[in-house]
Amino acid sequence: MTAPNSTAGIFPLDKQGLLEAYRTMRTIRDFEERLHAEFAKGDIPGFVHLYAGEEAAGTGIMMHLNEKDRIASTHRGHGHCIGKGVDPKGMMAEIYGKVSGSCRGKGGSMHIADLSKGMMGANGILGAGAPLVCGAALAAKFRGDGGVAISFVGDGGSNQGTFLESLNLAAVWNLPAIFVVENNGYAESTSRDYAVAVDSFVDRAAGFGLPGVTVDGLDFFAVYEAAGEIIRRAREGGGPALLECKMIRMYGHFEGDQQTYRGKGEIDDIRANKDCLKLFSERVVEAGVIQRAELAAIDRDIGAEIEEAVVFAKAAPLPTARDLTTDVYVNY
Amino acid sequence: MGSAIGIIANPVSARDIRRVIANATALQITDRANIVLRILSCVKACGVDHVWMMPENGGIRHHVRRGIDRAENQGLTHFPKVEYLDYKISGTVDDTLKAARLMKERGVAAIVVLGGDGTHRAVVTACGGVPIAGVSTGTNNAFPEHREPTVTGLAVGLAVTRKVPPSDAFLANKKIVVRINGHEEIALVDVAVVTERYIGARALWRTETFRELFVTFADPEVIGMSAIAGLLSPVTRLDPHGLHVRLVPEAEANILLDTPIAPGYMRGIGIRDYAPMQPSHTYRPSITDGSIALDGERELSFTRDDDVTIELVPNAFSTVNVSGCMQYAARHGLMRMTPHQKTDMGGQ
Repeated sequence: MTAPNSTAGIFPLDKQGLLEAYRTMRTIRDFEERLHAEFAKGDIPGFVHLYAGEEAAGTGIMMHLNEKDRIASTHRGHGHCIGKGVDPKGMMAEIYGKVSGSCRGKGGSMHIADLSKGMMGANGILGAGAPLVCGAALAAKFRGDGGVAISFVGDGGSNQGTFLESLNLAAVWNLPAIFVVENNGYAESTSRDYAVAVDSFVDRAAGFGLPGVTVDGLDFFAVYEAAGEIIRRAREGGGPALLECKMIRMYGHFEGDQQTYRGKGEIDDIRANKDCLKLFSERVVEAGVIQRAELAAIDRDIGAEIEEAVVFAKAAPLPTARDLTTDVYVNY
Repeated sequence: MGSAIGIIANPVSARDIRRVIANATALQITDRANIVLRILSCVKACGVDHVWMMPENGGIRHHVRRGIDRAENQGLTHFPKVEYLDYKISGTVDDTLKAARLMKERGVAAIVVLGGDGTHRAVVTACGGVPIAGVSTGTNNAFPEHREPTVTGLAVGLAVTRKVPPSDAFLANKKIVVRINGHEEIALVDVAVVTERYIGARALWRTETFRELFVTFADPEVIGMSAIAGLLSPVTRLDPHGLHVRLVPEAEANILLDTPIAPGYMRGIGIRDYAPMQPSHTYRPSITDGSIALDGERELSFTRDDDVTIELVPNAFSTVNVSGCMQYAARHGLMRMTPHQKTDMGGQ
């Protein structure tokens, strides 16, 4: 079948955009799969929390953003970083704790940041991104440049007071702030059913006067469409909103998690039937817009890119004792 | 001896993008639970002793349980026995389909549905002819009539306990059957053909993609896709036919129709023409590639390689005639009580 030249009226992105979406999701997936393997070797310091399985949500949102827009991520931040344009080589080196890393090896997995890309940082403190985003959104509002700021939080982290206070603040000041709840069903190992009293995140938003939307976070197009409307509205002065993405994670809460809380066969079912990359690929190939060979070429590129990132990270030097006192304070 | 009924309450209706683009209602979980409690007390008042509920993990169940526990703590007995079906919750429409099937197997006399048009469609798909009664907790909701659920609960109670005869208690409804290569789906109100090839956020609001519309009834007092047909040529639920509307971009339109396609969301719709949709006649989409939206939500995509047919089916399923039940109750004094005396209608 010959691919049509235009996707207008068929998909919300042109062919180039669809390929870019796939490339981003594939980069995240390969980055995380490789980390899963490398972490098991014991060379990586600290904890890592993998975003594999959740790529459609981060990518579908981030494709609406530019470098001026700010995001604040979670402890599970690699996917957000890649989606926001942070260099995977620098990220990999950062996770290995090397001087060549995005934050000179001082942040590690849970504190990767790159302000030049609008990425204010992954965050080891649950719910801590939301107040930061209110500040960034307030700045964007004062500048009047149409910028938006997006906070990511998990279903567990959404119980933090900081998150709820931020919903209130954003509503009161009508900030261009968007709160994304990445609901993968588990707060570490605790089921959402056990831990969240008001079971609907949309209800929480409504309680603070914000509109809330729930989407299938495994469906790139569902996220892309919903996020697009929410972000457009915020840019135009329409105010804050909450977006709940229902999703799954393919790995444990952290690497090393035995996942005894999972149901029997749950992971197999996820891999077979709920893989957002597979779902995306099938949709665009079936529509005849993209050929499988084009996706395979991207797979090869990304495989080489991630291999290069790991080699680079392993070869890079560690920080020295003298580096301890640098980058501590910033002059404004 | 009271009859058993089922209640299927969808915790995730009214959660889509129309909260943002159209200020649509986001009915809270506690409100949905309170609706269930109101219905429970009304069906009990009519003599229903046993209710099967769909399990869900959206929170309705917890609030209903607390409401029943509080009543029992106070010594009140105005709720029937409530049991939840036992299966693994998926958090998807599969829960609704499974609940409807199991309720049919357990012999319920009717199923009360809380949700939007999509939820009602799922129940009808799987309930095997059990009458349903709709309570609108969705967004556009052309199918369930808008009224206080207390009244719906009373009508269901009166109908299933045979206090109102079946001829007044139930109505037959049309449906539309869509077949793609033999795979069958249904719609209760409308089937829309759009150019988009992805399901995405499901809701329909990009009017430039609309190409064709088939409706079972066309009511100018509703919103959404059915409103397009309703504002062109009203068709009632009892008419034998439906309506078929062909849509075009505004520049090519013979009629430009200002239509509320979502709550408070007025858009110009380009109309080429419209005609009655005849029952038992096979229609095919006018475009070769696109998606099909069932009751306002994109569900299926198709290409030129697929065989797609659309057909209006009369007398397809049964609903509780809430208005008929309450009119009958009034005419026959079913709700009257003797002073200082409880009746079999309750009156606690």
